[in-house]
Amino acid sequence: MGSHAKAWLVEDESAREMLDRVLTERPFLLLPPLHRVPLRVGNVVELVGPSSSSKTHILIQAAITCILPKLWKGVSYGGLGHSAMFIDLDCRFDVLRFSELLNHRIMEAANGSSSKVGCHQKDSEAQFERMKPYNEELFALCMKRFLYIRCYDSSEFLATLKTLHYRLQKEREVHGVNVHLLLIDSIGAFHWVDRGSSSFPLECDNRKSWHLQNVSEAVVQEIRRLLLVHPMLVMATKAVVLGNKYSTNELTWNYRKWSAVDNPYSRNITSSDQQLPYREYMPAAWQSFVTHRILVRATDDDLVNGEHQNNSIYLLKWLLPPLNSLDKFTVRDTGVFILS
Amino acid sequence: MARLANLETEYPVLDSTVRNFCASHGIFSAAFAEQNDSSERLKEGIAQVLSIIDDMHQPWLNGMELLEDAKRNKHVFPTGIQGIDLLLGDGIRVGQLTELVGPSSSGKTQVCLRTASNVARNHMVLYLDTGNSFSPQCIAYFLGKTISPSSAQAKNQFLQKVMSNISCHSVFDIFAMFDVLHQLESYLRCQDGRGCCQMRLLIVDSISSLISPVLGSSSTLGRALMTSAGYLLKKLAHQHNLAVLVSFARVSSVLVWLN
Repeated sequence: MGSHAKAWLVEDESAREMLDRVLTERPFLLLPPLHRVPLRVGNVVELVGPSSSSKTHILIQAAITCILPKLWKGVSYGGLGHSAMFIDLDCRFDVLRFSELLNHRIMEAANGSSSKVGCHQKDSEAQFERMKPYNEELFALCMKRFLYIRCYDSSEFLATLKTLHYRLQKEREVHGVNVHLLLIDSIGAFHWVDRGSSSFPLECDNRKSWHLQNVSEAVVQEIRRLLLVHPMLVMATKAVVLGNKYSTNELTWNYRKWSAVDNPYSRNITSSDQQLPYREYMPAAWQSFVTHRILVRATDDDLVNGEHQNNSIYLLKWLLPPLNSLDKFTVRDTGVFILS
Repeated sequence: MARLANLETEYPVLDSTVRNFCASHGIFSAAFAEQNDSSERLKEGIAQVLSIIDDMHQPWLNGMELLEDAKRNKHVFPTGIQGIDLLLGDGIRVGQLTELVGPSSSGKTQVCLRTASNVARNHMVLYLDTGNSFSPQCIAYFLGKTISPSSAQAKNQFLQKVMSNISCHSVFDIFAMFDVLHQLESYLRCQDGRGCCQMRLLIVDSISSLISPVLGSSSTLGRALMTSAGYLLKKLAHQHNLAVLVSFARVSSVLVWLN
């Protein structure tokens, strides 16, 4: 017994060693356009914005960065080499667009390395043809690391989360890669359906009724449990309706009236200094689970990019942690391109 | 999620031992069960419970499988209208829900009829009409414009064939639409893979007249119905390889959000 007690007191590693280990195993991620705040596993990032504000695009960009390898056959791709899981609650994912983006990233990295050697135009084309089978092999390798599932209602979503632990264990055994990224698009998808399903009293008291708050709590609990065993970065999108900035007073007044009568779950807006430009509708369980929050929206400006392409410009603002800067970015074939 | 006691008849491994074990962990329905080193029987029981839950959600796919499915099944159907085809990138895509939004009398029904006539040449079309706007004469006219001049009898035969591919139902409220769509789902589940002429297009013209009566300003049931309708259409589109086209009349100051 005494030797066991002593074993508790012997140190495993010094603080410096621990820091070294953690920083190599769980590096900070700087994913454009979310590059202002470094993200780590265990963070829960929420991307908030109205429809068509490139939220899903940012998720896809993060997934591609995750599934690309760091170094492959001599070419540096700058990725993480881990798997990414995409839970599609909106059911609007376009796999052809995803594969296009992945291909463009692969070619860009391959061309980037070849241009360093200093080839001429003809040489680079020949090299491109030579690289093609390698690119296809890499493409297949990366696509196999991208895991996708669709959920058509909350019960399917919960069933997915509950069996995710065993799925991840299987993935680890079969492919030997860990899942680093969990993407959810979008988290508020079943909000109205769950609110509308009234809680019928069941015979047995042990079962919880199907209620918006219970569903949300169950989702948060499952993800928390999952993060304990499989550390991942969680990114979720949420569609909101932005209030007109000239009528924010009216918006907050309506919100207060609405929150007093109808919805006891929303956060009390008067308690915080920061006035949110949108109406928060997720229950408090989810709101307190989120560690980082970003607001994106499209502006009316276009970036003229050649005669045929007109890319819209998007604005990005960090709400949690609150930063004063506004980032502008646009979406191109190779992905997100920061403007300022 | 069913109670474990009720599942015993289907899965005899979930006998009272397993149920007691689960009850000791506070599990009364088919939910996540912690694994620890217990007997083989318990492990079997837990594995069974997990596979039951696994059946409750869609299968996981990796990127390559998704891509193969998209290339093999998710084709694009041209609408027959050049401008719209250009905007949509060659036409409406199987597996996706395409929405036409516009004020009244902006040509939405015309686009729907034109698309139906185009797709019906080779595939079956289901047209859900909410405002008695389906016009067989229009379809015959669109078809007549595109076929090469031949004998009247051949033209007639062609028209007959294409018209018989279009099946038109009138629905006047959202519950009738749900009814038709559920019937369609069971029909397609038996049909999938069989036969040469398969259903590939579903048109709802217009879905706004079904949704606006149930949608009040603060009604949760109305929005829940609207969201569920959207998901049912997306599920039909993806699982049974249909292109879904819905038209939506936008009333001036009210912007209704269909997911």
